[in-house]
Amino acid sequence: MNNLLKTLIAILAIINFSWIAKADYPEKPITMVIPFGPGGSHDLNARVFTSIIPQYLGNAIIVKLVPGASGQTGTAMVAQAKPDGYTLLFTHNYVDQLQHHVKKLPYKPLSDFVTVGRLNYAAACMIVLSKSKYQSVQDVFDAAKSSNGKLKLGHSGMWGATMVPMAQLMSWGKVNANLTPFKGGGPMVKGLLAGDVEAVLHFPSVIKGQGSKVRTLACGAKEKSLGTPPTFEELGFTGQIGYMDRILMAPAKTPPERIKILQDALSKLKDDKTFKKFMKRLGENMKFMSGPDYEKIRAEKSNNYKSLVKQMTKG
Amino acid sequence: MLESFFNSFPLLLGSGNFLTIIFVIALGLLIGLFVGALPGLTTLMAMAIVLPISFFMDPLVGIPFLIGVYKGGIFGGSIPAILVSLPGTGASVATTFDGPPLTKMGKGRKALETALFSSVIADFSSDIVTILLIGPIALVALLIGPPELAAILFLSILIISSTSSGSVGKNMIMLAAGLFIAMIGQDPIAALSRFTFDVFELRAGVPLLPMLIGLFAIPEILINIETKAKEFVKTKLNLKKEEKLTWEEFLKLRKTILRSTVIGTTIGMIPGVGQVVAAFVGYAAAKNSSKTPEKFGKGELEGIAAPEAANNAVNGPTLVPLLTLGIPGDNITAILLGAFIAHGLRPGPELMSEQGSIVFAILLCMLIANILFLILGYFTMPLFSKVVTIKKSYLIPLTIIFAFAGSFVFRHNPVDLYFLLFFGIFGYILKKLQFDVTPLVMAFILAPSLEYAFGQTLSLGDDNVLMYLLSERPIAALIIVSTPVITWKLFQRSKKLRDVATSLTSSQVKSS
Repeated sequence: MNNLLKTLIAILAIINFSWIAKADYPEKPITMVIPFGPGGSHDLNARVFTSIIPQYLGNAIIVKLVPGASGQTGTAMVAQAKPDGYTLLFTHNYVDQLQHHVKKLPYKPLSDFVTVGRLNYAAACMIVLSKSKYQSVQDVFDAAKSSNGKLKLGHSGMWGATMVPMAQLMSWGKVNANLTPFKGGGPMVKGLLAGDVEAVLHFPSVIKGQGSKVRTLACGAKEKSLGTPPTFEELGFTGQIGYMDRILMAPAKTPPERIKILQDALSKLKDDKTFKKFMKRLGENMKFMSGPDYEKIRAEKSNNYKSLVKQMTKG
Repeated sequence: MLESFFNSFPLLLGSGNFLTIIFVIALGLLIGLFVGALPGLTTLMAMAIVLPISFFMDPLVGIPFLIGVYKGGIFGGSIPAILVSLPGTGASVATTFDGPPLTKMGKGRKALETALFSSVIADFSSDIVTILLIGPIALVALLIGPPELAAILFLSILIISSTSSGSVGKNMIMLAAGLFIAMIGQDPIAALSRFTFDVFELRAGVPLLPMLIGLFAIPEILINIETKAKEFVKTKLNLKKEEKLTWEEFLKLRKTILRSTVIGTTIGMIPGVGQVVAAFVGYAAAKNSSKTPEKFGKGELEGIAAPEAANNAVNGPTLVPLLTLGIPGDNITAILLGAFIAHGLRPGPELMSEQGSIVFAILLCMLIANILFLILGYFTMPLFSKVVTIKKSYLIPLTIIFAFAGSFVFRHNPVDLYFLLFFGIFGYILKKLQFDVTPLVMAFILAPSLEYAFGQTLSLGDDNVLMYLLSERPIAALIIVSTPVITWKLFQRSKKLRDVATSLTSSQVKSS
């Protein structure tokens, strides 16, 4: 009898508490882990949107940078966190959908996390120096072929946002090249400017800053601000390439009603004037995508990466 | 260029913003000073947190604000290094060699003032050099690619190891140990796991801050407890009553400050080397040219002035690649880049030619920040002294708390406490066996960059690296060729110094 009473009280308490929590979420600031270092584009985008979102969410989002092991340290931290909606992950598709094909991870990205939404994306473009003789992607392919794979190209880190699309392009053009890594996007541009490498992929927000020093050969998406160079798709590449999706994820077991609250707040950003102003200044687009919509393409992207990894590590 | 330089003055003075600028720089300096002085909180974190605040300010207010935080933070890190041997960053490690001994001798105030004056003077001079030579510095930045960087880093590690205080054999063991510890985790090029023994926590490598605190603060605490417990409890640390730095003492330091400023400014021009190397090279150079090198490490004011001047002289030139090429060289400049672009200013060649006056206005703000810092630092020192005016018997437990708390807040990862304990005990054993941990720390900090640059060089050289270096990389080839000569000279010199030092101490022992 006593036991039954205790159980009943406990059940009532749980229901009661969860009801209160549901009504009030978020009742305290939410922590958002970024598994990359300070000053990168994820950090900047996050600083902007977390300074605006409190008015739609009712509480603050605190950015916590947890870099290490190409994003694994921060991702593991969120995977182990309590799925109560107070710990989120702001990451990108290569960490979320490619890494588990390359490495053994202590978490399963696709099933341990669910998408709250895609804030925006950045589509990589191929650039060369303005004084370079290469006028098109085909020129770069031809040079790679005639140099017997010795043409020097740069990327910003193994299995990262500029290395994967570069590998995809090379495999599509059926050419080999010397792919040299750089310690991030900044040093990679320096490598291009100094002539250490002849072509790199980079994002429009950075390319604009280089002005007339570089020439854009082609982009992943239509980029009016870069003089509308051709897209890789127009050149004959099938499917999306070079898109880095900045995605907000939650642990998969987070209560759906809390995810809904987060999704609603995130989707309101795209009509916010201050948010628009800052995004424009950062040179980023506002191609927001809702969580459910992103989930539809997530598994498919992961499969594409799987075959790319297989092809890359084979040779 | 000259025109935009002169246009920068009305931009700063005429906008009616001038007082606001002074105010925000001072505010930034105080925030930075406070954050830097707390172990575990880094300047980088402080800048990332205040970055959004700067978004909503005028560009010529927001960016100077961040610069204030930056400069304040770098000096702030020296305070715990001097007082309790807690280095907050790699850049203040060299300051822990002479700081704590000076504090124990009751010269903590002199040490802090030496650090402040050397930092400000070196920073100010390097900023002026930066303003005058912004074009040439940008060209140097482009000349230094992966092969040159690898050669320079390799040479730096050798220079620092050969001038460390331990015996050559011991130094080489420490060097190898540092290189090995740096290899734990993912390799920087292909991101494959090495020496992680399938422990996930090791995949991100050994964290710098818990390791530094462990190696430097914990052994210090243990040895204090063990040997000097009695005299330690007796005395009271009271910076307020301590003597200030005298004019004569300061004049004696001017050569050291000048030498370190030159070293720091030069190193700052080379992207990817940075403050840590500057501080150590500055220290080694001062020790090498001193008439009393045996006093270094036992409480020599020059041992504070040398690393502090050198690491602060790096600040000016490191901004050049960001301002002229739009390329951030490190994390701190990457955050500054963020502040620029949030204001619609994109650093790079175009900003320099079209809105050069803004660039110069920001460089002028750095000069203003230095002057303000001299005043603020001088007058807040009594304030800091109040904080540390405590019984020394409380200082040990307090330091332990700060060591643990500092290691934890760095990444909010409980694993770091294990790292702290491990390196604490490791450092204690090394100290007992009379190993100098400097080569270990240096190798650990520089190894990832060295390995990266080396890997890049191999990749760029394709299958014929030697040909590549000789035909396309004359600067790198030159540095590599001169490396054995420089190392041999330094080694001989430091051997002579060590011999002098040992004969001195043995004669002292005899006479006493």
